[in-house]
Amino acid sequence: MTLAVDIQARRGTFSLTAAVTTAGGVTGVFGPSGSGKSTLLHAVTGLVRANTGTITLDGETLFDATAGISVPAHRRRIAAVFQDGRLLPHYTVAGNLRYGERLLHASERRIGFDEVVQLLELGALLERRVRGLSGGEAQRVALGRALLCSPRLLVLDEPLAALDDRLKAQIMAFLRAIRDRLEMPMLYVSHDLSEILQLTDRLALMERGRVLGQGRVLELARDPALQSLLQRHGLANVLPIVVARSDADGTLLTLASAGAERTEALHGPRSELAIGSRGSLTIDPRHIALATQRVAGISMRNQLRGRVVSVSATGNGSLVVVDVGVPLLCEVGQAAIAELGISAGVETWCLFKAQAIRLM
Amino acid sequence: MLLTDEEWTVVALSARVALVSLVAMAVPGIALGWVLARRSFPGKIVVDTAVHLPLVLPPVVTGYLLLLLLGHGSAFGRWLEALGLGIAFTWRGAAVAAAVMAFPLLVRSVRLAIELVDPRLEDAVRTLGAGPLRTFATVTLPLAAPGVLAGLVVSFARGLGEFGATMTLAGNIPGQSRTLPVAIYAYSQTAHGEAEVMRLLLISLTVSILALLASELLTRRMRARSAR
Repeated sequence: MTLAVDIQARRGTFSLTAAVTTAGGVTGVFGPSGSGKSTLLHAVTGLVRANTGTITLDGETLFDATAGISVPAHRRRIAAVFQDGRLLPHYTVAGNLRYGERLLHASERRIGFDEVVQLLELGALLERRVRGLSGGEAQRVALGRALLCSPRLLVLDEPLAALDDRLKAQIMAFLRAIRDRLEMPMLYVSHDLSEILQLTDRLALMERGRVLGQGRVLELARDPALQSLLQRHGLANVLPIVVARSDADGTLLTLASAGAERTEALHGPRSELAIGSRGSLTIDPRHIALATQRVAGISMRNQLRGRVVSVSATGNGSLVVVDVGVPLLCEVGQAAIAELGISAGVETWCLFKAQAIRLM
Repeated sequence: MLLTDEEWTVVALSARVALVSLVAMAVPGIALGWVLARRSFPGKIVVDTAVHLPLVLPPVVTGYLLLLLLGHGSAFGRWLEALGLGIAFTWRGAAVAAAVMAFPLLVRSVRLAIELVDPRLEDAVRTLGAGPLRTFATVTLPLAAPGVLAGLVVSFARGLGEFGATMTLAGNIPGQSRTLPVAIYAYSQTAHGEAEVMRLLLISLTVSILALLASELLTRRMRARSAR
């Protein structure tokens, strides 16, 4: 899947100028509200028509202002999931799920009904009316309905924004399953950076109708022009983990990323995650301290040894990327950087409390 | 209730005229209601005004304008007559008058009902692969159905009660254009017509009240549906 967008769109006084390309996997579109990310997403689906530019998907031109081409939304095979579910109230759950599937030729159906029902745990809901569904249930049905269109691309517009934290974590687990098991390309729009990072580290960054940057979050975070925007909106380390042990005092976690050299145990807060289950930990770069050596006699239980990859000054400190098997983003004061002699290539220890970890 | 043959003719004619006018205006009325609810285009206000004109014009004026347009005096009217489809002073004229007078009521109801349907639902199904017609048939119309039905009921009742434009365009010809209200008026003008008037009046009253009740119930369902 290759999506290339290069458009300008004007809506009243608002104008959007966006050039974005993605190649498979999940791409997060992040920006504060009013930054134009929803307009961008609607232009991709075809629900909004851009004024100038082009949109192509796998070489097929979906929009070309000069050539007068604009493939209507229903022929783009780009399914959308919105913040508010938008289920059809006069259909049952099963009816909603099958809505788009019925419009496909058998040869176009790549994703089966049973597969989706199983993946999203919808079996018990099938005969229900839409009216009685909870927010989380409705969003699962909306996801299933979009997947059953066997879309070339799934676009999600703030799909978790209306849910509480517990439901967010639950739906996020389903989104990861869709990403990994169905290998569905996604364009994921959110104003919450830490939420996007749960799903992907590839971002397009938007502000005031412009795309400021596109790439992996660690690369973007090193750009002085983008740092403050990222930091203000939940820049975080998100690492895949496996729960090794869990008791009343807390959890013991191991990093699950393929690149991890060591499987160092991490101490996390108490959690409802079952032993052996996979999830992710989120840790704010501001909550990580650096030390030149392992520190004894300290309450911070997590101490990871690593090598500094890069140091970049920000407005009020420095962002340091440390390779601890996976890259870890740490925010430290500039004076401390100078004092400890932290620079690229130097060995350092990353320290953080168990309570600084958020588990999902 | 026992009616004379003459009165039966009146009732049957009224039903036929109102039904034909309903069938004739249903599709254009729903289509126009949708256009006014969902589309913006230059000249929309002109269309809107033209549709609603019969609501405020004196019915006699509407009838006379229709007579000028469709009667023997116009080329179009003579062409229709040549085809055996003459409008003026026939039951078809009564149906045309009923349809034109009830049309704004239908368009208004349909428009309001469609405006209550969340357009974001329509957007959602478009990304699921539904084209404009399918979106209308599977989302817009079913969700607007109670309001659309209410509009059809009210315009049927309005057609049944049409008088001024009917008299002007179609006259008062038994079996052709002597519908319920025309007959009631005619009987009321004759000596000793009170019994006939009362019987026809009762029918008219019953049908009207039933239509209003049905429309009110449907409108309530519509509101309940859009509230959830």
